[in-house]
Amino acid sequence: MTRRPNPLHATFAPEKVAIGAALAVLAALVPLIYPSTYGIGVMVTMLVFVVLNISWNFLLGIAGVWNFGQLAMFAVGGYGGGLLIIHASLPPWLAIAAGGVGGALLAVLLALPTLRLYGIYTSLLTFAAAQVVQLLIQNDTSGTTGGALGLPQVEGLFGGLDPLWSARAWYWLCLAFVIVVAAGLALLVRTPFGLALRTLRDSSAYAAARGIDPRRYRVLAFALSGAVAGVAGALYTLYNGSISPTVMGLTPMSIYVTMIVIGGLGTIAGPIVGTVLVTIVQQALIDHPGTQMTVLGVVLIAIVVFVPRGIAFEAGKLRDRVVRWMNEEEEAPPAGAVAAGSSQSQESRLLAGREGS
Amino acid sequence: MSDVLSILVSTIVLGSIYGLVALGMTLIYGILRVLDMSQGSMVMIGGFVGWAVMTSAGLSPVLAIAAAFAATFCFGVLTQVVSVQPLIGRRGTDFEMITFITTFAVAMVLANLALQFFGPRQKNVPELVSGSIHLYESVSLPYQSIVMTAVAVALMLAFALFLNRSRFGIAIRAVAQDLDAARLMGVPIRRVFPLVMGFASAIAGVAGVFLATQYFASPTAGDQPLLIALIVVIFGGLGSLQGAIGAAYAIGLIQAAASVWVSTTWALPILYGVIVLVLVIRPHGIAGRSLEARL
Repeated sequence: MTRRPNPLHATFAPEKVAIGAALAVLAALVPLIYPSTYGIGVMVTMLVFVVLNISWNFLLGIAGVWNFGQLAMFAVGGYGGGLLIIHASLPPWLAIAAGGVGGALLAVLLALPTLRLYGIYTSLLTFAAAQVVQLLIQNDTSGTTGGALGLPQVEGLFGGLDPLWSARAWYWLCLAFVIVVAAGLALLVRTPFGLALRTLRDSSAYAAARGIDPRRYRVLAFALSGAVAGVAGALYTLYNGSISPTVMGLTPMSIYVTMIVIGGLGTIAGPIVGTVLVTIVQQALIDHPGTQMTVLGVVLIAIVVFVPRGIAFEAGKLRDRVVRWMNEEEEAPPAGAVAAGSSQSQESRLLAGREGS
Repeated sequence: MSDVLSILVSTIVLGSIYGLVALGMTLIYGILRVLDMSQGSMVMIGGFVGWAVMTSAGLSPVLAIAAAFAATFCFGVLTQVVSVQPLIGRRGTDFEMITFITTFAVAMVLANLALQFFGPRQKNVPELVSGSIHLYESVSLPYQSIVMTAVAVALMLAFALFLNRSRFGIAIRAVAQDLDAARLMGVPIRRVFPLVMGFASAIAGVAGVFLATQYFASPTAGDQPLLIALIVVIFGGLGSLQGAIGAAYAIGLIQAAASVWVSTTWALPILYGVIVLVLVIRPHGIAGRSLEARL
């Protein structure tokens, strides 16, 4: 490669940007059309988890690091932000930022011992570390974290508004975070940094031969992912006014992993699609709490076995087909151009498969 | 003195039970490259079968152990057929990671089915045998523990004999060593895999009966043993049988010592701390070798 193409230029298809923008506008209109404080509240929590899942998917699917300790960063961001508000009476905005810093610091700490590990050992180490964090929070007897009962009475944002408008404000705030994080990630995977991460995932020997230092990139990826997870944690604490150790552990982890895998591991849209779908299933089964996890488990196995790339990937293929079909209608190009066009669309499909939409 | 003695006693009892659960996990990993997260559910199911046979039906503990063995064997085979077999040889996905997730999903389903079926309340399971020997000052050794340890050690020995001497066991080890060579020698791979997971699960099921008599039968009874078994197999090195058994007693010792000298609430964090250290210093556990992914 003698001339490096501008990585931020060519690979963004205008229709993708248009679809994304349209969806964002539609999502922003939802709380105005649907004026239910409870319903919007459910969606706010969902959006917080979308932020968390995007950060998790970045490590799991895009960087290919089997990190199962993401909830530790989420909890540290949540507890850190909450404690700073209670004890240092930090303004909530700064507490969100502080949560991000806390998450990033813990993520770097967690990344260092995983540098010598690969595969399943990475997941076990990160999971064990997350268990340590949970047990430390839970068994704390000095009263800082509130132990198993959690951190109570964190004063949140938008307290002055009436409940409906406060819920709406929260919704828009969290939606803004989702948009920023998702768009940022879509840009990031197209930069040399993102390319290096994906190369490390797909062929670490080749990446090393091209001079990509796996250690530096892994630590950086952890730091970025941890910062976003920490922000999600701080948002969670501020929105709920409290946080408890139950945000971590096997059950929450299985729900989030289900969301990511159903949506599509390693895609940008995957965590968003998956989180929304799983939240809908959860809400539909809210009167039968016992069946929720059973249904989710069965759906997870079925998706892995029958739709291994996740729903977002299949939807991307469908969209590509529609776009091709529309192009065929518009102009009937000569035979040579058809061949060139189809090979190009195949390439873009490959890109879509790697990067999502 | 009494501290040391009680630590030793619980080391042997805990270590034997952990050894049973970890044995299955490490065997499955050695042969299938699957870190089977449903092993905890097998412990839970074993506990419920034990409760059903001993308390509900009022039958003998020997029958309960046999029934738990049979039931969890079936569940293990089923788990393999549903969540692992369809993924073998699939391109473009990471087999180890994706089966980690699917077996985890199986665990989710089984735990919640148990919750639906038996309810969240803990079920008391009677002791296998009552009475105890007085050892020293306040330390006593229940017959129950002796029986459990004896059965666990006997099962482990029987398993070792089975793997080393029987035709089928040799086939299993051949698969663990070299998949292609085993296939060339005529080992029916597709039939070996479900049976391995069945046997491993059955051993975990027996451990489940023991744990239920020690604590309770409940839908979440498998979580703690699963976490401990994970710790044990990391400590021993995934795929190494001797490593797992040695590590089970080492972990039992650390837990017992931490419970007595520090406190029970800190036993688990200390264990996890030890494991993080082990992985940092020896990335493949005490006895583990670095294994290549296959399948």
